[in-house]
Amino acid sequence: MIELFDVTKRFGSEVAVDGISLRVETGELCALVGTSGCGKSTTLSMINRLIEHDGGEIHLDGQPVRSFDEVALRRRIGYVIQSTGLFPHWTVARNIGLVPRLLKWPKGRVRERVEELMQLLGLPVAEFADKYPRQLSGGQAQRVGVARALAADPDILLMDEPFGALDPITRETLQHELRELQARLHKTIVFVTHDMDEALALADRLVVMHQGRIVQQGKPIALLHDPVNPFVESLLGGMDRGLKEAALIQVGERMLPLGPRLLASERIAYGASLSQALSVMLWHQVDRLTVVDEEDIPIGELSLRRLLGAKAS
Amino acid sequence: MKPGSLLARHVAPVPTSRRWLVPMAWFILLLMLSAGMGQLEWLFRLVEPDVREVIYRRAGFFALLGQHVMVVGVASLLAVLLGVGGAIAVTRPAGRDFLPLVSQLASIGQTFPPVAVLALAVPALGFGTLPIVVALLLYGLLPIVRNTLAGIDGIDPDVHEAARGMGMTAGEVLRQVELPLAAPVIIAGIRTSVTVNIATAALGATVGASNLGDPIIAGIVNGNTAYIVQGALLIGLLAITVDSVFERLQPASQA
Ligand SMILES: Nc1ncnc2c1ncn2[C@@H]1O[C@H](COP(=O)(O)OP(=O)(O)O)[C@@H](O)[C@H]1O
Ligand SMILES: [Mg+2]
Repeated sequence: MIELFDVTKRFGSEVAVDGISLRVETGELCALVGTSGCGKSTTLSMINRLIEHDGGEIHLDGQPVRSFDEVALRRRIGYVIQSTGLFPHWTVARNIGLVPRLLKWPKGRVRERVEELMQLLGLPVAEFADKYPRQLSGGQAQRVGVARALAADPDILLMDEPFGALDPITRETLQHELRELQARLHKTIVFVTHDMDEALALADRLVVMHQGRIVQQGKPIALLHDPVNPFVESLLGGMDRGLKEAALIQVGERMLPLGPRLLASERIAYGASLSQALSVMLWHQVDRLTVVDEEDIPIGELSLRRLLGAKAS
Repeated sequence: MKPGSLLARHVAPVPTSRRWLVPMAWFILLLMLSAGMGQLEWLFRLVEPDVREVIYRRAGFFALLGQHVMVVGVASLLAVLLGVGGAIAVTRPAGRDFLPLVSQLASIGQTFPPVAVLALAVPALGFGTLPIVVALLLYGLLPIVRNTLAGIDGIDPDVHEAARGMGMTAGEVLRQVELPLAAPVIIAGIRTSVTVNIATAALGATVGASNLGDPIIAGIVNGNTAYIVQGALLIGLLAITVDSVFERLQPASQA
């Protein structure tokens, strides 16, 4: 659990972070969103003390971060940044094994852990272990960055726009993988992004920042429904909020069991989102879809009425 | 990144014995010439047919070479220790305040002629080997400081941030990240420093330090071109030998 109590940071006369209070529960993914320069990175870096806060307190599991030795603190917190910051003179395997080696793990255990992580992140050991960072694509490099952050199995992960420099397709793949990883590992994650779709897709808790302050926080759906002011509303997508919410709801949650009627000709996967279902309906100009499972076997149906009506609930 | 460096990693390394072939060849040539300058008397006769003595004999070339190497070696070793150490010191948080001063001194110093350094050193330190060692040290310091600063400064700030963020101590960042990444640039600075100082050390002969500059000065004073050629030849060979050693030491740039 990470808690911030009235945390403030000034750079000279400029107040970068202005009295922030925030609580990230264990196993929760908290996304910090806001326009560039609103203090997201500063907030993140104060948690692992790359930047020291000048006011308030930051606690990890109830203990002030200042009570830890800063080097020891950072070794138990995973850190991922947009540009990866991989060491260009080290191989992939050596980069990933950095923190375990700093922690003086025995050699064999470091090697095992590195191979385990490479498999977890979809980096075949034989192909990638001896490559250098410059030989990797952006997506591969960021996978290595994530593997390096996870190497010593930290409880907490800090991610500063980790997928911000990737092309949209790679970004979506990595978002998807992060979600699956998180479902298995249950890390406590603070995730900085300025991409609202990314934040909505990943976050258990969404924190909107503006000019060094938190303007609103809560569950993504709650924020979509009740933005406190026009700024949050427009950040969340303004008129597109309906579609953004629909993107968060799975078809499976809204479908009805197969009825006596003939199957609709167009199909949609059980795990697809309502916004994708709506798009299929618009495209084929139909108001009914057959819902199928992973094996493409029909398991239910979704009507436009149901899709729309469900939203009100 | 240099275009070739990516490939260079995958090409089988040249076997050590062959890798050092070129520096070895220059070194052997240097030794042979120092030992056998007398054999070339007929050649130098062609240059200076009228003088009584065409081969410099006031001291053996071997001894002069040894002293030359000694002076440059000592001065360079001190310059590396002080230069790299100083540049590291002013790039640490505690020494940052001195960084602008030191980097300015390093670039201004480069425009200062070595003769002037020597002229200033003699009144302070007297004649002999000491003033030339000091002059070489000061002059040789500059490229080393400048390159070490550039090498450390040239490291991607995100790599630095990641290193700290992963929990490396300041010492670990320096030894495992900063120095290895800056090494190619630092070694290039040392290479410039040493090769320039091999030539500059000849000036030591004017202040009473005996080295390969002696035949040159004696040649100038006595109007004996053969002496000048002999000194210059050996200094040139020494510089080429050392330079070719550095060429092989220099790792491919990582950045
Ligand atoms: N090291 C620093 N020195 C001075 N000002 C800084 C520093 N880091 C950040 N700032 C300022 O603090 C504010 C917040 O920056 P940052 O946290 O990086 O924003 P974000 O990550 O939301 O884009 C900005 O105005 C930025 O200029
Ligand atoms: Mg930022």
